[in-house]
Amino acid sequence: MADVKVTIDGREIEAPEGTNLIDAAQMGGIHIPNLCYLKGMKGIGACRLCLVDVEGMKAPMIACNTKVKEGMKVNTKTPAILETRKFIIDLVLSMHPLDCMTCTKAGVCNLQEYAYEFEIKESNFTRKKFGHPVDAGNPFIKRDPDYCVLCGRCVRVCKEQGTNVLDFMGRGVGAKVTTAIDKPLQESGCTFCGSCLDACPVNSIIEADRWRKGREWDYQSTNSACLLCGNGCDVTVSTRDGRVAKVNAGGKEGSVADYICAYGRFGFDCIESDSRLTVPMKRVEGGLKETTWEDAVGIAADVLGRAGKDAGFLSTASITNEEAIVLKNFATKVVKSNNLDTTLSLYSDEDSMRLSGTGDLDAADVIILAGLNPSQRKRVLPALDAALRRRVQRGGKLVVINSGDARIAEAATVSIRADEVSSIKSLIKALVDKGLKADKGITEAVSGAEAASAEIAKAAELIAAAKEVLVLSSPALFNAANNLALMKGKAIAVPLESNARGVAFAGFENGGLGYADMASNAATKALFVMGEVPVKARPKTDFLIVASSHLSGLAKEADLVLPSATFFETTGTILDYLGRMKSLPRIVEPQGEAKDNVQILMAVASEMGQKMKRPTESEIKKAMKPGRPSARPFDRKSYSVNEQDLVESINAAVINGSRLLWLKETEKGVSA
Amino acid sequence: MLSEEERKEIEAEAGQYDRKEAGSVEALKVVQRHRGWVSDEAIRDISAALDMTPDELDAVATFYSFIFRREVGRNLILVCDSVACYVMGYQGVLDSIKEKLGIDLGGTTEDRRFTLLPISCLGQCDKAPAIMINEDIYGNLGPEMLDSILSRYK
Repeated sequence: MADVKVTIDGREIEAPEGTNLIDAAQMGGIHIPNLCYLKGMKGIGACRLCLVDVEGMKAPMIACNTKVKEGMKVNTKTPAILETRKFIIDLVLSMHPLDCMTCTKAGVCNLQEYAYEFEIKESNFTRKKFGHPVDAGNPFIKRDPDYCVLCGRCVRVCKEQGTNVLDFMGRGVGAKVTTAIDKPLQESGCTFCGSCLDACPVNSIIEADRWRKGREWDYQSTNSACLLCGNGCDVTVSTRDGRVAKVNAGGKEGSVADYICAYGRFGFDCIESDSRLTVPMKRVEGGLKETTWEDAVGIAADVLGRAGKDAGFLSTASITNEEAIVLKNFATKVVKSNNLDTTLSLYSDEDSMRLSGTGDLDAADVIILAGLNPSQRKRVLPALDAALRRRVQRGGKLVVINSGDARIAEAATVSIRADEVSSIKSLIKALVDKGLKADKGITEAVSGAEAASAEIAKAAELIAAAKEVLVLSSPALFNAANNLALMKGKAIAVPLESNARGVAFAGFENGGLGYADMASNAATKALFVMGEVPVKARPKTDFLIVASSHLSGLAKEADLVLPSATFFETTGTILDYLGRMKSLPRIVEPQGEAKDNVQILMAVASEMGQKMKRPTESEIKKAMKPGRPSARPFDRKSYSVNEQDLVESINAAVINGSRLLWLKETEKGVSA
Repeated sequence: MLSEEERKEIEAEAGQYDRKEAGSVEALKVVQRHRGWVSDEAIRDISAALDMTPDELDAVATFYSFIFRREVGRNLILVCDSVACYVMGYQGVLDSIKEKLGIDLGGTTEDRRFTLLPISCLGQCDKAPAIMINEDIYGNLGPEMLDSILSRYK
């Protein structure tokens, strides 16, 4: 979009057309005070704090909802404006507790900052106290309406992402933000994603366990990524004295993807849970007994060395690129076995992952969702569900193609409820008829496709008019989705685990035994399992080695248990579902004697007389170049995995070892 | 559960707009007309009928003072407390009603015959002090007139 020149406080600023004055001022380093504005969302002018003087206008304008115009002259600090702002803060303070000395949000509270700036120690108005009850009935989010400044940020984030359980009840100063019928959160349909607490500018909505756990200035904050599901969301982790104190959404401010779910925000308790493995263990007389690393590494080297090509290796795809590459090399070069596979093969082939493109949800104006059923409530790709709903709220167009019941269809611009492959064929045909170019093979393949239904015709129109198209599909449908994207846009197969794409590049398909074989009946002489692989019973193997952060069901069955580092304790990289490389620094030290998987594998290799190197970031980047997709057959691969079950079982230790267990029990109670 | 009649009336109201939720105030009034008030259960039922979430509808319901989210009596007494009525004897009228019915503002008599509520202005300043019972206006009031007025409502 064309840039517009405006003058704010005498400074010339160039901002894209359509930018509001708060964002434009920010580009020039000028902060316009506000309590209710949220970058990326439409300003609603609730707090009236962002009033500015615009030359030629009779009255002050709210900066959050005024767009830049060529030649506009804005003054944010006239005496009249400053007086108005001071008056507003004074009014807000008259109903706000003045207990900054013990308030958890001290230091990051916008109201505190503005009161300081305007030198208001005590409101000039009569103090009002409503004495609203506090909602502290859950272990995640505490709501204290007495601190609320009625800015509506929480209401808007909740609505925009489609969760929609919070709203203003009542009217005027007596209004209160709460759920329908004023129920506690757990009875309101809340998913405890905590977006509201990230949005709250004061101490009204806050982590339930924050009291005296430190204030912002006590923390060290580190950016990382969540490993718990296919979305691999950005997170900001705050630590104090070497322990994780809280996790916040860490996406780019104003991005539709700035969301994390309850798993990512509250699952970190599991780092210190009772089931955490902190020392190696080996089976002695039927029971697991603690042992030393030296002993454990020796046993592993001996067993795997003797098993050789009859050894097997199983892992989740929630491991880092470094772990994946080292595991692959360890299996194929050190132990010399081709029997290795990951949970990726439960829902995708490696090709679909490797050929997927890179995408940007904020930039795409038309998003096609084929065969995917993201859900905040089931926590299956919850961040994708939230991001798509936000994108639609901000003017994006969403086309949902699904033969079954997908709840996201309620947010769709066009919903095509029919067989995905034949719908995509009809869609491509409709686009060809509109004059879009397609590969000859594709044109031939769709020549016999059914005529476009009204919905498909509408979708074709959207695509034809779009600037940037993003086709997101289930891995089973990637080939058809890819053919559609070859005409316009990019196709991405969305996996269920955080580093499925990285794992696919490491390459675990080696012609040996696959996941299903190793997990059940194919006999291996030794089986090395990494992470929380969802295998219920002990697989048929002579010797079972489990490297895991927690005493999982499978670890209990193992002959040798190696305690590994959990997320936030490992350093590495992942390739997220949109093809972005993300770094995970080590944020806290591993508990007890736990080691990260790379260290474990290198130690065993070294015991076997082979030196292994940790891959460098440039080696990883070189290994992970997306392929150039070409026309693919219009097929559909078949997988039988239940998505919610898979996500819950690879995260069993996280859920059972944290307050998320309360959530699972409560949700079970509600649905029963 | 919405009655057949309520459902029909709500659909007729909501059907007038592009988006069903635009009929939310009317839908609330439909249920209130039939039941006297809007219960929690009714909020859930109406919101489902309008494709809204319950929190959105409850926000609308609680915004309006005359959508009752608590059960009220069969007859509603609204006592005007704006300036004109206030200076013309509002207090005496109010005290007298309170004493006769044994309830405070916001209260409902045990036999559910009356609910007593304040109102900002009835537009009867020339006949102050004034009250309204159900749809009937009474002006130029004195405490001595209340017995006969109240006796008309069962």
